[in-house]
Amino acid sequence: MFKILASLPPLIFSYPKRSEKNMVKYIVKKLLMMIPMLLVISFIVYMGLRATGVDPINFLVSPEVLSANAENVEALRESLGLNDPLVVQYVRWLGDILHGDLGYSLDGTSISATIATRLPYTLELAGYSLLFSTIIGIGIGIISAIRQNGIVDYIGRVLAVIGQAVPQFLVGILLIEIFAIKLGWFPTANRVDPNATNAFVDAFRHLFLPVVTLTIGMVAVLMRYARNTMLDVLNSDYIKTARSKGIPEWKVYMKHGFRNAMKPVLVILLFRIPGLIGGSVVIETVFSYPGIGITMTNAITSGDYPVVLVTTLIIAATMLICSFLVDVFNALLDPRVRLGE
Amino acid sequence: MNEATVSIKDQNKAASSSRLKKNIRKFANNKLAVLGLVIVAVMTIACVVAFIAGVDYRTPDLTATRTAPDSSHLFGTDTIGRDLLARVLVGGCYSIFIGLFSAVVSNGLGAILGAVAGYFGGWVDSVLVRISEIFQAFPQLVLVMMLIAIFNTRGLGNLLFIFVITGWMTTFRMVRNEYMTLKNETYVKVCEAFGMKSSNIMFKQILPNVMTPIIVSVTTNVAYFILQEASLSFIGLGVADSTPTWGNILNAAKSLTVVQNQWWIWVFPGAAISLFVLAINFLGDGLRDVLDAKQQ
Amino acid sequence: MKKIFKRTLTLLLALAMTVSLLAGCGSSSGSSDTTAAAEETAAADSGTETTSTSDGVLKLAVTTGDGSSSDDKISTPWYNRTFATNLMFRSLLIADSTLTETSPDLAESVEISDDALTYTITMKEGLKWSDGEDLTAEDVVWSIETAQQAAQVNSIYTTAFSYIESLTYEDNVITMVLTSPYSDMSAILAQFAILPKHSLEDADPLSMESDDFWTDPVCSGMYCVDELNVGNYFTMKINENYEGDAPKIQSIQVSFVSDYVTAAQSGIADYVFGNDTNLVEALDAMDNYTGYSIDQLFYKYFIFNMSGTDGNENEAMQSVEVRKALMEAIDRAALAALYPSAALLDSGVPRTDDAYDGFEWTYDLDQAKADLEASGYDMSRTLRICYYNNDQTSVDLINAVVYYLEQLGLTVEATLSNDGTTDLFTTRDYDIGFKGKSAFSISEWYTEYLSTDSLFCGIFGGDSDFDEPVAALQAATDTESRNEALATLQALEEEKVYKVPMFTVGVNVYVSDNVKVPDGVEFCNPYYSCDLDFANWELN
Repeated sequence: MFKILASLPPLIFSYPKRSEKNMVKYIVKKLLMMIPMLLVISFIVYMGLRATGVDPINFLVSPEVLSANAENVEALRESLGLNDPLVVQYVRWLGDILHGDLGYSLDGTSISATIATRLPYTLELAGYSLLFSTIIGIGIGIISAIRQNGIVDYIGRVLAVIGQAVPQFLVGILLIEIFAIKLGWFPTANRVDPNATNAFVDAFRHLFLPVVTLTIGMVAVLMRYARNTMLDVLNSDYIKTARSKGIPEWKVYMKHGFRNAMKPVLVILLFRIPGLIGGSVVIETVFSYPGIGITMTNAITSGDYPVVLVTTLIIAATMLICSFLVDVFNALLDPRVRLGE
Repeated sequence: MNEATVSIKDQNKAASSSRLKKNIRKFANNKLAVLGLVIVAVMTIACVVAFIAGVDYRTPDLTATRTAPDSSHLFGTDTIGRDLLARVLVGGCYSIFIGLFSAVVSNGLGAILGAVAGYFGGWVDSVLVRISEIFQAFPQLVLVMMLIAIFNTRGLGNLLFIFVITGWMTTFRMVRNEYMTLKNETYVKVCEAFGMKSSNIMFKQILPNVMTPIIVSVTTNVAYFILQEASLSFIGLGVADSTPTWGNILNAAKSLTVVQNQWWIWVFPGAAISLFVLAINFLGDGLRDVLDAKQQ
Repeated sequence: MKKIFKRTLTLLLALAMTVSLLAGCGSSSGSSDTTAAAEETAAADSGTETTSTSDGVLKLAVTTGDGSSSDDKISTPWYNRTFATNLMFRSLLIADSTLTETSPDLAESVEISDDALTYTITMKEGLKWSDGEDLTAEDVVWSIETAQQAAQVNSIYTTAFSYIESLTYEDNVITMVLTSPYSDMSAILAQFAILPKHSLEDADPLSMESDDFWTDPVCSGMYCVDELNVGNYFTMKINENYEGDAPKIQSIQVSFVSDYVTAAQSGIADYVFGNDTNLVEALDAMDNYTGYSIDQLFYKYFIFNMSGTDGNENEAMQSVEVRKALMEAIDRAALAALYPSAALLDSGVPRTDDAYDGFEWTYDLDQAKADLEASGYDMSRTLRICYYNNDQTSVDLINAVVYYLEQLGLTVEATLSNDGTTDLFTTRDYDIGFKGKSAFSISEWYTEYLSTDSLFCGIFGGDSDFDEPVAALQAATDTESRNEALATLQALEEEKVYKVPMFTVGVNVYVSDNVKVPDGVEFCNPYYSCDLDFANWELN
């Protein structure tokens, strides 16, 4: 009985209608769940940061002025609402955010403007890294599985091992030293060159090394999972059935093997996105890349809590979306999870 | 009844001891895993021995800063003339401890919460899943910073605390899913029918079946936390400089001058981290192969 | 068997690649310096070529990693001056490389009355801002008045301007009357940038430095901002309304970078400076950079966190014996080796100065131990040090200091903070702060002791003992009275032990050979502004 079920190849898209309805309900429920979670996270971070005893006024005003113009400062404090209870301040801040007003950093820069310039840079960096690591990781993984113990398999495994063992920032520093300084092929910092004539070439030059660094770290994990799941699938009964039916080998790999092997890999991919975000925070520092990660790191070290709050919310939202997608995929793959809810 | 139980237990014991022997043989055949184990063991022992012996890792010698490796300093000296071999060894103690402690405690926490969530289901499960998602969504950096600001110190305790509370969710999800599947198995139903206590079923009956992935997860997490510590040190949010973790020692690679001219200052700590992480990954892979139920 | 062989092969490959990745790059540059240098030169040469093809662009860099300036606007010249802002904003006077000798810039002339209390400043005629508006005495008066209320202003200006009793202008003549003589006033006026009133008068002084003005400022200098690309760079073009000789360099690009060494080695900075050993070592090794070492008063010093004017005091540091003992336990001579050029210092007065009284801090661990014991200091409490410079040399120095103090049997904790001064009195969690101060005169060191100094009164508890001798120093017009005032101050300093200087460190300026600096130009302390004859700088 089970063998018959398992030999039905495309499992995902062949659920009965009743299940589809359940699925939609499940997705909507999961989506709605994200709202209270974001609220909780924002509340914790807001309270946590404010409870650290940082007086925003110390950052706004130099100490000389603080004592020289006590009344002005008090007026400023009052006008900023810093004398209200924390909860009131939190609600007001949240209201502003909901109205699209992200507020101002402690040095007075509009956070919306900062995010608008820097988030795209980070999305570029993370997006390309995700794309390349997926293609390379899954590609090598599949070839390794098909030609087990072949050359690609060995090179892939060696790379995977190194990618996982050497600290990412060290890889970045060494890439800078070798390719940017010794060889002079790439710039060492920033995202845009003042002398750039071709935006595409410029983007390539600035993105290449950081993307390679992040990709090396990501590829390792993906490759291993892709290889393992592909091996599992290739050894499964329905592949054997397919082969016995005389379907060409490549068709077996691509149509039956690949499609089924990719489901768990996709889940792993989504699970790695938080790691990618964390990695880009460090890598942006290494490459002086003006993205959201370096903005957050600087805000953290300088105690600029409005910026920390907004960047935290952005990262939290990204992670929640990933986690949501993982749930949806899990539910698609394993109906028991969904029914258990 | 008692006699019957005892005999079943004995049988189980005999079975498990033969399985253990089989597993050890299987593990011994996996040369990479054995090598991994040897490297991990040798490095750990070397570090612990150096730590207990009290090697001098902190006396600066400002007349002999940045000296290349020679007979008196096998690994050379750092930017204020401290012996790098001693620092890498003692640093290893801290880093391995950070990795091991965080991995064991976070996985333990994840396993317990996962067992509770998976076994009981319902609102308990919903609440725990929600909490885990909140922690998952929380940027680790922000937590680190909040703790530094609240306690006003970059202590080791802070870091361990953060690694534990940000590291349990993967294990939690895994164990929870396993429990959700396993609680419907016949043997669990039988235990329940016999009126066995929930805690007994959860931890004595079901847990042994999910130990394999937990053990594998602990080994890989040790590597993960060691690397994570290095990253946090790099952006200035790690343990205070006075504690010589591998990450803190490697921080010298921040300076391009050191990277170019004083290779020993960063190659040795860098190689120590990489070698240890490499070895522990091999060990984890080996354990996975040996313990993987499917291949038994 | 075959499987084992292949696995071993994999492992060996992995190990080999890791080791070569780690060691390859480092050892090749470490063991063969000449090759590395040659390669660097080659890389820089190719950089030269791109410079010449890009039609004469001077490349500058601004560091943002240390938090002193941001990468989304031009930093206000009222806080720290940078090479780029020096070219954009002018002052009434302009200093030479000593920073104390001044000549007129925006002002036609500055006359000081015999009692040194009245300054009559006549403005040049026909000055214009880059947007075409007239630059007048009104702008000057507005700037000086606003700086006293603004949030981000260097304390050298607020301290000096607090001596102003009245400030008036009529047409192009400004009359400034002081409450008491302030000998550094001319030097201060040579640093203080005049800003356009018409662009900034509506901005709140408390948040003026973040006004939109700073993304494309109206300027008075040779150059103005051409384009600002947030996070990456800004470019500068010649200011058409600049009345002096037009500069030869047509265009300047300023990259936002995290450190100068990387910037110099990748060819995006023709001018860098610093006092960090790593920077000096790296730049000295680069053939295509010419180094200028600048003798300046960059004080590196410890400051004891005493008490605030509100009576909130740090009990543990109240005993002068404790403070002395702690300082005796630090081997300052050994620590000086961490900097490429550091001169040991025992008070605000350098050992080379005529006024130096001969007092020396000596390193004596046994004595320090005995003194600490005699003082009854609670050995079980943790001594906390706060520092804010995050360059490697500062971190190294603090690590060594922690070690020295631990030799006394103390538990010591050092914390990297955002602002080493304000953190001392806002939290009073720290016992000792480690600071750097780039001063242009000795008196700047001593004005920190004034009970009226709004910053340091929070640290020294508003102790007014220094007020009188500092005023005497400020009023001193001849060497004799100056030395007399300094003698009193040194004695007082040695008695109180509030601030303990370690050394002054020299700073090195490096200019790449893309740039031809005219003969006779002397570089000054790069944290300040001085006459570098920039109009005659040329690109090769």
